[in-house]
Amino acid sequence: MLFQYLVLDILKILENERTISSPYHLLKGKRSGQTIQDVGIFHLHPYFGIFPKLSRKKYDEEIQKLVESQLIQITDNSFHVTPKGIQFLRQYEPLPLNGWQYRGNEHLFFSRLSLIVQSLSHAREKVMAFSPIQKDEEIQHWVRHFLLKNDYKSGLLGHNLYDEILQSLGKVQIKEQAKEIVVKRLTGYQMPGFTWEQLGMEYQMPELDAQILYVACLHQWLNEILPNRLQYPYLHQMSEHIRADIPLTGSAYHTALLFKQGYSIEQICRMRKLKQSTIEDHIVELAINDPAFPIEKFISKEDIQQVLVATEDYDTKKLKVLREVLPHLSYFQLRLALVRGENVCN
Amino acid sequence: MQLEQLLQTHFGYPSFRPGQKEVIGQLLDGRDTVALLPTGMGKSLCYQLPGYIFNKPVLIISPLLSLMQDQVDQMKQFGEKRAVAINSFLNRNEKKLVLDTLHRYRFIFISPEMLVQPQIIQRLNRLDLALIVVDEAHCISQWGFDFRPDYLKIGEVLKEDRPPILALSATATEKVLEDIRRFLKMRDPFEYIHSVDRPNIRFGKKVFQTREEKMEWLLDHVTQTEGPGIIYTRSRKRTDEIAAQLLQLGISVSSYHGGKEAEDRQFIQQQFIEGALDWIVATNAFGMGVHKENVRQIIHDTMPSNVADYMQEVGRAGRDGKDAIAILLYSEGDEEVARFIAGEDLPSETQMELYEEYRNRKVDPKEMIQDGFISETTFRVLHYWMGLYPLEEVKSIFRKMMNEKYRSVDEMLRIVKSDRCIREQLVEYFGQTFKDKPEHCCEHCGIDYQQFLLPRQDTKAATAPSTWQMRLRQILLGTD
Repeated sequence: MLFQYLVLDILKILENERTISSPYHLLKGKRSGQTIQDVGIFHLHPYFGIFPKLSRKKYDEEIQKLVESQLIQITDNSFHVTPKGIQFLRQYEPLPLNGWQYRGNEHLFFSRLSLIVQSLSHAREKVMAFSPIQKDEEIQHWVRHFLLKNDYKSGLLGHNLYDEILQSLGKVQIKEQAKEIVVKRLTGYQMPGFTWEQLGMEYQMPELDAQILYVACLHQWLNEILPNRLQYPYLHQMSEHIRADIPLTGSAYHTALLFKQGYSIEQICRMRKLKQSTIEDHIVELAINDPAFPIEKFISKEDIQQVLVATEDYDTKKLKVLREVLPHLSYFQLRLALVRGENVCN
Repeated sequence: MQLEQLLQTHFGYPSFRPGQKEVIGQLLDGRDTVALLPTGMGKSLCYQLPGYIFNKPVLIISPLLSLMQDQVDQMKQFGEKRAVAINSFLNRNEKKLVLDTLHRYRFIFISPEMLVQPQIIQRLNRLDLALIVVDEAHCISQWGFDFRPDYLKIGEVLKEDRPPILALSATATEKVLEDIRRFLKMRDPFEYIHSVDRPNIRFGKKVFQTREEKMEWLLDHVTQTEGPGIIYTRSRKRTDEIAAQLLQLGISVSSYHGGKEAEDRQFIQQQFIEGALDWIVATNAFGMGVHKENVRQIIHDTMPSNVADYMQEVGRAGRDGKDAIAILLYSEGDEEVARFIAGEDLPSETQMELYEEYRNRKVDPKEMIQDGFISETTFRVLHYWMGLYPLEEVKSIFRKMMNEKYRSVDEMLRIVKSDRCIREQLVEYFGQTFKDKPEHCCEHCGIDYQQFLLPRQDTKAATAPSTWQMRLRQILLGTD
């Protein structure tokens, strides 16, 4: 049911504005201009890339369930959430997710942690032969390096890591169930972890719900670890490069560098041999990520204000409608205004 | 020095297991050798010990990437750090680094695809190797079930003046053996063929009128008798169905197939090995790399597509040498499923024509995979043959292969339907003769099931730690 809540919550925000597929791309973390821009315009940061492996089939099944239980109605170009759907939404508390910042990297953090914990658990029992829970060579390499650097043989590392996890995870504001799920995905000497199916059965929830709680817990946990390097030195090492400072797609990053050097959009187009619309997508992405980004270079303060008034008057963020209302502004300018406008209002 | 002493020095074992000494002795004399040894009988020792004795690198050609990684991991676990895998998982820099430092490794695992790359074979041919090992050598035979076209080229790329070849396999018929000798260009090889018979496994069989009756029997049997056991079936969906029903009956069970997340698969394997799970319901994806000694039961929910698969799956029971039982279930029409599965990986005529069409349009046929027209495994085989012969000939080759696969299903079916001793038929299939028949040999010789199947103990799951803090403590600090 959590997953349905999650989808419904997104659908409520995109109601009448986007197609039924939009939440799918958002949850998958699709790196396309449209999806990234929607994150900015509709403030969907928490949900971006929560389920990188979600299959379209599974998603469609869940949508079908929402339709069948009359929580949403599909319309010709879009959909809307029924009063029953609104009721349903109210039963839940918002999930503490942070998708935009972690972008699936929380799984990398957990992979490192789980292999380290497994290794320490076996080392404690003097068993040096075991089948590593993580098969990825890069992770194995990273962990080997970590263990050697931190002198795992002394036996202290296990104790210290235990203390760090106890403290930091203890501080995370999320229900205990979510923490149990995270710890049950760890494996140790003669203590195998539990499959999603098993966790779902134990807590009597669909597997996807268990996974949502797991991801939410990892996000909150990382929020606790990252600013406190001195307090959690080992966990902090495991969080290395987990949160991107400038969470941009690779190509947008190049554009950002050129833009910062003072090149204009036209110049960047020529230098990078890319279409203007692509560079504009990048600029919008920059504006989403950086609240201090000077969008006034592209659109005046008065025009921004006009856009915001129009969105309220017409109760829409549809670019097509806004363009008709404000024909003197380009789509690019409208998108920038929408992205930033929210920030000004908040 | 005596071989036994060397074994003691390098591995700490006092004596060899059957076949090892003979094989190693021949290799040390420089003779090519084919060794058919059942899984779990210490195949790898046959090349590890010569590697240490010659004090030179050993090249091991291995077809399955996951298996290769397992082998390297295991060697490292047992303290041999000079093991490396050269396969498509390596990126360009890693590959270069490995190739530049190749002489420092003692055990070099390589996939056949990599071996045939000119740059790599040149580098390898410059090394002074102790031995060349071809693991899972049956993959060389197009009549085998895991045919790997690149295996055919192994014999061609090796230089004339080469060290002895050791071809290893668990099971092979005479026909496959002939292919191994021919394509690897082996010179009057010594052959060690271990008996395929496993006297401690009893072969049961149950025939049902309908699938429903079969399912009923299966559920009843698993609730009444003691594991640990593996139930093999042929589709992912079916593993989930059976597991779900058994779970409802309170059995400690999980399904296992390639569609599950990698970590979940690991958890299931570990739980089964640790004894936290009594039963696994699996496709044939389960078993490789899973070392569990005390599997007491193997049940086939439906007949496998060929006898070799059946033997391999059954062979996972009773590795500890104690009594174990295998029960094959059959209901009318199961052979149809088996035929379907058997032909699944072979390309259809439509796919062959499509390949031709791509080629004519000057599009890389490999794009058929991305376009969703063909699986990667199927493409690999198709690609190989299309590179050698014109379309019509390829079609006829695959028709022949398909018939061969159907024939294998029929061979399996014949054993299922026959009233003769099952053990005898299985052993004969591999062209071997049969020594002593154990008591309670098989369904037709008569089995007193109660002697082998203990009634199920309703074991209460060991009380797991109740909070996350306690679990964490137990994992990292132990119970003290």
